Amino acid sequence: CDNYLDLTPISEETSSIAYSTANQIEAALTGAYETFQSSDYYVWDQILLEDVRTDNDYAGGDNPEIFAIDLFNITPTNSRVLGWWSSLYNGILKANTVLDRIQDVTDPKLTDERRQQIKGEALFLRALHYYNLAKNWGGVPLVLESTTTTDPGKIQLPRATEAEVYAQILKDLDEAAKLLPDTYGRDATVNKARATAGAAYALAAKACAQEPAHNYAKALEYIAKVEASTANYRLLDSYADLFDGNHYNNAESILEVQYTGGSEGNWAPQMMLPPSLSGDTWRKFVVPSHNLIDAYDAEGDVVRKNASVIFEKVTDWVDEYWGNAKGSSIPFAYKMKNAMGWASTDRLYILRYGDIVLLKAEALNETGDLTDAAAEVNKIRARVNLAPLTAAQTATKDALRTAILNERRLELAQEGQRWDDLKRHNLVVSTMNNLQEIDLRTGQPTQYNVTEAKTLLPIPQQELDRNPQLVQNPL
Amino acid sequence: RSTIDVTLQESVTGLDEVVVVGYGTQQKKDVTGSVAMVDADQMNSRPNTQMGALIEGKAAGVQVLSSSGKPSQGFSIRIRGTNSITAGSEPLYVVDGVPTTDTRSINPADIQSISILKDASSAAIYGAQGANGVVLITTYKGTSDRPTVKLDVYNGFSQVWRTLPVLNGEQYRDLMTEMGKNTDWSLYNHNTDWQKEIFQNGRSQNYQLSVSGKSNKTSYYMSGGWVEQVGAVRSAQMNRYNFKINLDQEVNKWLTVGTRMAYSVYSDVDVNDNQGVDKGGVLLGALTTPPVIGIYNPDGTFTSNPFQNWENPIASTDGSNRKYKSQRVLGNVYAKIDFLKGFSFKANLGIDDRNDIYDYFLDPFLTSYGRALNGQGINNTNKTSYYIWDNTLTFNKTLGSHKIEALAGSVIQEFYWENAHIETRNFSGNGVQTTNGGSEMIAASSDKAKKRNTSFLGRVNYSFKDKYLLTVNFRADASSVFGPDNRWGYFPSSSIGWRISQEPFMQDLSFLDDLKLRAGWGVVGNDQITNYAWFGRVGSGANYPIGGSTMPGTYPSSVENRNLKWEQSEQTNVGLDFMAFRGRIQFSADVYIRNTSDLLLNAPLPRSTGFDSAIQNVGKLQNKGLEFNLTTVNVKKAINWSTNFNISFNRNKVVDLVGQEIFAGTITNRGDASLVKEGLPLGTLFGYVWGGVDPQTGSAYYIAKDGTSTFTPSADDRVVIGDANPKFIYGMTNDISYKSLSLSIFLQGSQGNDMLNASRMETEGMTGPQNQSTAVLRRWRQPGDQTDIPKASWGSYDNSRISSRFIEDGSYLRLKTVTLSYQLPKTLTEKVKMQNVKVYATGENLWTLTNYSGFDPEVNAFGTQNTAKGIDYGTYPQTRNIIFGLNITF
Repeated sequence: CDNYLDLTPISEETSSIAYSTANQIEAALTGAYETFQSSDYYVWDQILLEDVRTDNDYAGGDNPEIFAIDLFNITPTNSRVLGWWSSLYNGILKANTVLDRIQDVTDPKLTDERRQQIKGEALFLRALHYYNLAKNWGGVPLVLESTTTTDPGKIQLPRATEAEVYAQILKDLDEAAKLLPDTYGRDATVNKARATAGAAYALAAKACAQEPAHNYAKALEYIAKVEASTANYRLLDSYADLFDGNHYNNAESILEVQYTGGSEGNWAPQMMLPPSLSGDTWRKFVVPSHNLIDAYDAEGDVVRKNASVIFEKVTDWVDEYWGNAKGSSIPFAYKMKNAMGWASTDRLYILRYGDIVLLKAEALNETGDLTDAAAEVNKIRARVNLAPLTAAQTATKDALRTAILNERRLELAQEGQRWDDLKRHNLVVSTMNNLQEIDLRTGQPTQYNVTEAKTLLPIPQQELDRNPQLVQNPL
Repeated sequence: RSTIDVTLQESVTGLDEVVVVGYGTQQKKDVTGSVAMVDADQMNSRPNTQMGALIEGKAAGVQVLSSSGKPSQGFSIRIRGTNSITAGSEPLYVVDGVPTTDTRSINPADIQSISILKDASSAAIYGAQGANGVVLITTYKGTSDRPTVKLDVYNGFSQVWRTLPVLNGEQYRDLMTEMGKNTDWSLYNHNTDWQKEIFQNGRSQNYQLSVSGKSNKTSYYMSGGWVEQVGAVRSAQMNRYNFKINLDQEVNKWLTVGTRMAYSVYSDVDVNDNQGVDKGGVLLGALTTPPVIGIYNPDGTFTSNPFQNWENPIASTDGSNRKYKSQRVLGNVYAKIDFLKGFSFKANLGIDDRNDIYDYFLDPFLTSYGRALNGQGINNTNKTSYYIWDNTLTFNKTLGSHKIEALAGSVIQEFYWENAHIETRNFSGNGVQTTNGGSEMIAASSDKAKKRNTSFLGRVNYSFKDKYLLTVNFRADASSVFGPDNRWGYFPSSSIGWRISQEPFMQDLSFLDDLKLRAGWGVVGNDQITNYAWFGRVGSGANYPIGGSTMPGTYPSSVENRNLKWEQSEQTNVGLDFMAFRGRIQFSADVYIRNTSDLLLNAPLPRSTGFDSAIQNVGKLQNKGLEFNLTTVNVKKAINWSTNFNISFNRNKVVDLVGQEIFAGTITNRGDASLVKEGLPLGTLFGYVWGGVDPQTGSAYYIAKDGTSTFTPSADDRVVIGDANPKFIYGMTNDISYKSLSLSIFLQGSQGNDMLNASRMETEGMTGPQNQSTAVLRRWRQPGDQTDIPKASWGSYDNSRISSRFIEDGSYLRLKTVTLSYQLPKTLTEKVKMQNVKVYATGENLWTLTNYSGFDPEVNAFGTQNTAKGIDYGTYPQTRNIIFGLNITF
């Protein structure tokens, strides 16, 4: 009667048979991409970490755990910290599963070319998740195989060093770039959805700049390969087109999260857009700071300000920074413009060529080529009708560095980049502690009291509880 | 002389009383295990809509947990404590031989008796399914030649028994102003009592009609009934129709066939509780919505908090339609063949088929969320099919002083689930509320799952001289949820009884009716975990758009575990039964210890594995306890007065968790309130140690692990702050009758259990624009203030962390029911050809003695979760009910 008991799942597959055919390994890879939608980190929490945590925005909304991000009170028990950590590692598990299981796929329908690409895509995804882990937590456990056991000796791994994690990221990306094509054909909805060689080089460039050793020379090599890609990445003529919701999968996009609405819709815009656009009336998250608005105004940067921020008078709540009374005009994050009832087609770019152009400027400046660096910045400025950098701004490496950083801020606000920029240049503590944002309830500037220790996220308490090998970051 | 008075000598002691046990019956005197029996007499004293109420407080060691007072709330039973951590801990319910887990749609009016198998030796015949005890439910059977017609009718009313004081409009405005929040207050000049709006007079009505009888070789029982409850909280409802047919036919001398069939239609409307106002929680919404707003805006939409778009609680009760409906057939057919001498074979086929439909419609206009989605329709259907096919052979023989009874059998069972889910959005209005009215398809999916068990069982009962009793059980069980290598589990048990009162040296004690010593040992199992648990499962639905169309995606959802096997509970029980003075004193005591090992633990894994947890056989759990049951007939004259008192003590401890700690009971924004750890009982409350309020700053300070005071304790400073397990639970029933009047008073209580009043964190925390309880009038306002309530602190939860400040004594003593009934004199009823006419009035929860400050101590925000108990977070309270009823038999 053992046959009677031999039941296999009806609506699930099992690990022994789920990765046998070409289509199944493709589905496992698709599942790995889906982390972009299922992980709040990629949906919008990176905006909280990169923009709300910096001088760009306030928390707004009603969520104490997000207030804690804004005010540098992130504790190890903050459930969002656990969420980021968990969903990034879940993405790594999915990528590792593809890498482990593709070895055994004998289906002739899986061509050698596609086999290489799938490996490359999975390696890229793994590298991207590790990049996000390393830049937030520093050294983390390096898991390079899919989990198939619960043996504590095998799954309770200690933290690798930050340098080891970055070395692994670059190793994965180098290999991925070799395996991946520049494009998968002419269809942009594929080329911007899947990892390409260009995406691997672009991420490698960013990782070289971000790693503690700041290898800008190496970054430039990778950037040259991005530029040489037959994908022909270029700046769009109109900055506004990048964010109007009608021009996704464009020539400037290297990789973007694909949202097509409905069940594949993006709920993040609903969290940020004003009542007139969201259709509801609760207090929104990610409120641009005075400091950010001033930065746009100081440059006379109308184009990017209008593409990034929208002001609206609100009567349903008060904002303690923009007018502690009803009817005040309050700015809203506006790079995603369509709420569409929690199921928007609006997207965040994971990698955008405009970012790479400014990274190139930064790398050139850091390696001493100020003239070419300024030229790159001016490309970005010309697009938004701003004059080239002044002589004073390009006179010294330090001055140009400041100008590039400011340019990056205006160009990339609310795209999840600001924190990395400040951290790369060791400016988190000074920037935040010098920030003057007046809380209108008290008339006093908000005190951030940032310390060097707070530039790393705490390891989630639950993870420490589950893995005694881990050592907490300084709190 | 035309009539002869015959008084049948009643079995004075009840020793011959038939006790229903697994796959059979025994006389009470022969029982060697620990079995509690609740029969019709004890049930009639209380009108019931659910069978859980029939046994609450009636049997020692049986804890009936109702996690809220909702009409739709099912109940949960724990027999001798909680026996598992993450696997199921509900006992097995067996209705006329058909095992089931859902008891909500079983009609209590059809139940003749309930037998609870508490110890391993009595439950072991159910082997794998018996680890948490077994509740055997037997429905009526026709017995008398003359058809008996019974009509039961009642109507009742219910109310919450307590409301909580909150700030009025002016006090609310003061508090907001203190937190720096300004608004045009002239727009907010209402004075709404939200508790008054949310709480209402509940109403219940119940009509039951049955006919039973026996003619020739046919016995029959037929019934139909309807019960409806309108809850004491706005919009909560329950409605049930029941039909039942029981038939037994003696075909000939050796063959009997029969059936038990029940059909029920159950529906309810739930309300959203256990949530803060920000998530639409109705109870916390009633407490924390400020009185200054009205219910509706001029355009008909719901109002919201002046500072945050949290809608008032009526938006939650009235802004959506939520209806759950279930149709169910539960029943069996059997054939019994008697052959040779003393042999009997019984084949039984049982089914439990259920169709559930949940329909949800969110109005596209009334609520903010509804407007953002333009309306939302959800349709979930769940179909459950179950069959059991068991064959048993019994043998009976008495040889002089030797009495032997043997049973052998086999069982197969299959469970089959089918679910479908549809969600659409974008409705043109509220005219069409089904999912076809929405233009945007959000989800449409279905899934299925199956589980099977096979078993072989055997039992021998042997008695010598009616004095020495022995029962030996053995059951082998296999379950499809375990890997091929560990599928079979073997569950032996045995028990012995010694009827000391039958010994010659006891015969002088004439007052003694019975004295029996019982001892039993046995092993039972548990397989109540996810279907296909041993497989490394790969889930579907991780879809992602590539190339403009959505591609199918998969994800690893569990780690393969070929070694997964049965969770085992080994239990030892020693008991004593004592009966004296012709049954006027009946006492029984039991002591037990139960060790559960190889726990089927959904053990947490480091998240760096990519998984959250994996089901593993790790850990050990222990329950031990004492139970006492005393029934006395105090007065037996013109006035009859009898008392039943039972009390039980259970101690639960996690013995081994391979060094892990499991956190549970997450309170929104404040972290986990429950801890599972070696050496501690399940239901341990966990948090910071409250220090007090610093008079200088008004901030709360806590006591760190090293004993120092701190405003900002770290996660490491959290310690055990309470234990949700009662020291003991007890129940007492007093039945007093005088002529036609009878009074039944049932008291029930729980002693020594802590509650975490997490509702108070929301109503005393002063963290946002929520209205607060009047306790915050004592809040710190200026340096030097000596108080126990910290200052208002917008957006910060530091002053209202999970701490000993919110731990309260959850002990209670409750006047659960009082029933006063009057039986019309026979002379009168016989004139209208009726056997019996009774009118009665019942009050439920009329009086509660408790120090608990929340709505009600008998709640748990985490339902029946084993890992989080004793937490009240805006949970629907138990209500006070008044019921008037009429029973007619003719």
